Amino acid sequence: MTTEQRDTRDDARPNQSPVRIDVEDLRKSFGSFAALNGVSLTVRPGELLALLGPSGSGKTTLLRAIAGLSSPDEGRIHFHGVDATNLSLRERRVGFVFQQYALFRHMTVFDNIAFGLRVRPRAERPREREIARRVRRLLELVQLQGLDKRFPSQLSGGQRQRVALARALAIEPTVLLLDEPFGALDAKVRKDLRRWLRQIHHETGLTTIFVTHDQEEALELADRVVIMSRGQIDQIGTPSEIYDDPATPFVCEFLGNVTRVDTVLKDGEAEVLGSVLPVPDGETYRDGPAVAYVRGHELEIVSRDQPGGAPATVRAVRPFGASVTIELDVEGRAEPIEAEVPRELFEVGEVREGRQVRVRAIAARIFKRD
Amino acid sequence: MSLAILTERLPRRAPSVMPGFGLTLGFSMAYLGLIVLIPLAGVFIRSAGLGWSGFWELASDERTVAALKLSFGAALAGAAVNAIAGLLVAWVLVRYSFPGRRLVDAAIDLPFALPTAVSGLALAALYAPNGWIGSLLADVGIRVAFTPLGVVVACVFIGLPFVVRTLQPVLNDLEPELEEAAATLGATRFQTVLRVIFPALLPPLLTGFALAFARAVGEYGSIIFIAGNLPYKSEIAPLLIIIRLEEFNYGGATAVATVMLLLSFIVLLIVNLLQAWSRRRTGFAS
Repeated sequence: MTTEQRDTRDDARPNQSPVRIDVEDLRKSFGSFAALNGVSLTVRPGELLALLGPSGSGKTTLLRAIAGLSSPDEGRIHFHGVDATNLSLRERRVGFVFQQYALFRHMTVFDNIAFGLRVRPRAERPREREIARRVRRLLELVQLQGLDKRFPSQLSGGQRQRVALARALAIEPTVLLLDEPFGALDAKVRKDLRRWLRQIHHETGLTTIFVTHDQEEALELADRVVIMSRGQIDQIGTPSEIYDDPATPFVCEFLGNVTRVDTVLKDGEAEVLGSVLPVPDGETYRDGPAVAYVRGHELEIVSRDQPGGAPATVRAVRPFGASVTIELDVEGRAEPIEAEVPRELFEVGEVREGRQVRVRAIAARIFKRD
Repeated sequence: MSLAILTERLPRRAPSVMPGFGLTLGFSMAYLGLIVLIPLAGVFIRSAGLGWSGFWELASDERTVAALKLSFGAALAGAAVNAIAGLLVAWVLVRYSFPGRRLVDAAIDLPFALPTAVSGLALAALYAPNGWIGSLLADVGIRVAFTPLGVVVACVFIGLPFVVRTLQPVLNDLEPELEEAAATLGATRFQTVLRVIFPALLPPLLTGFALAFARAVGEYGSIIFIAGNLPYKSEIAPLLIIIRLEEFNYGGATAVATVMLLLSFIVLLIVNLLQAWSRRRTGFAS
């Protein structure tokens, strides 16, 4: 690492240690619509947390309440143990990045980033030279050196979002909050910016929360993921906890690429696509109607003459990427299911369109059916 | 506006799949010539017939100069008042919802829709020394009717819709996120208005100012009743043109008209340059 890069790091790192955020029983309604229905959450100091959920799940409302952009009807928010619920935006000093960038169009990139420093009360305002030095450091951090005289309209979407981030970091925020930061960008740029945001988070060490509706983005980027639906938290956990051990049927369906099978539990076991599978240890619900979720790679395709499994017909074979996706019509089931087979295990000729096969579930998550 | 476009080089036309360019351009040019350019050229040709010294004598006539000063001064003052008041009105109409908002919004167009003679009569009746407002102002020693101040009042009245209607769509498009962003960055409400909102509104404000000014300079009907039309004092240039025409002094009329035309061009040019400058500052240079 060169000296220059290390300087950038030191400059971006806030003086105080990363902040813990405690959210207690937050409630917020818009008219008769309950956007937040009793949300409690602890954000660990310095972690990168994703708020994941479909639109209307309350994730943006929660982020805006933490930022102080909207006040909750009930509940409290603590920054580092100090009650921040009634602090003004200025006092909270959060770095907030908006989905549509919200850059000031009549200001250059430089002036945008310097804005937060220039509006400080005269006694706290750095000198113009000091402001220029800090803006240059931030431009380096977001890799936009030399673009300081451009106007936002002369930048690409990805560049604008980076200016917005530099502007938010300029005020040396206590926490960094991002509302769907990559929502308006195309797939390639999203992927680059994701990696880059992880790096920025690592370099600044700030407690960072971002909102997204893209499960891949959340699982790939975050230290922990909060999954929300209908104004409540469904599950909090690391990406692998969420993926391997989803807490609710909603989490299963939202993470996607699952087949839902309605079944019946008998003494802690249920039949799922011709296989008998158990509920996890410690599950109290052992008899009655249930629903099972099977991921594409947990399905096994065998030839018709083998025992077990459910008879099915191959509908289509899509050999893209590391795995081959096989679409199957299962007898007695209205909608087709999708199985994923690693490419090296897929034998051409064995599974072809129109072939009669059997499909078997080797694992499933089973929940009580309401 | 259009003057900036004239200075640009015309791009070579790329052949288009859809026909109709030649026909529509031809029609547009012919129509523009017939309706706008030929009458304006007529004014210049007519005044050219006077010869330079003849023209100068008529144009520098004391009564003409006084009338021109009043017309342009009152129009500028009126447009300036409207720029400030219109900004407030547009802000209130866009940002807040209150009972009767739609009614107020519709009323903005009244100065635009009323026959000018009707509004002129109404203004004169209100501001006359025995009128509702005029009598109150007379108590504190301010005379509006039959003075240059009356002309300004009439200019303010007719110019308001231009400022409000040019600002409204821009205010509507101003995302609330901009203000939220400024607030999260620590700006006070006053700093947000001054540094974020006002600069964004400057270009439409200049456009509204120019439109209000252009309308007020040429206004006749709603001014003449309240102005009183005392020569050298409260007589506006358009009225002077009519007086000269009634005296069959066509040379005198065209001289005043030519000076008005030139001054209007200059003011509009300045406003256009200001707009181009403010557009450049936002990176939208054309």
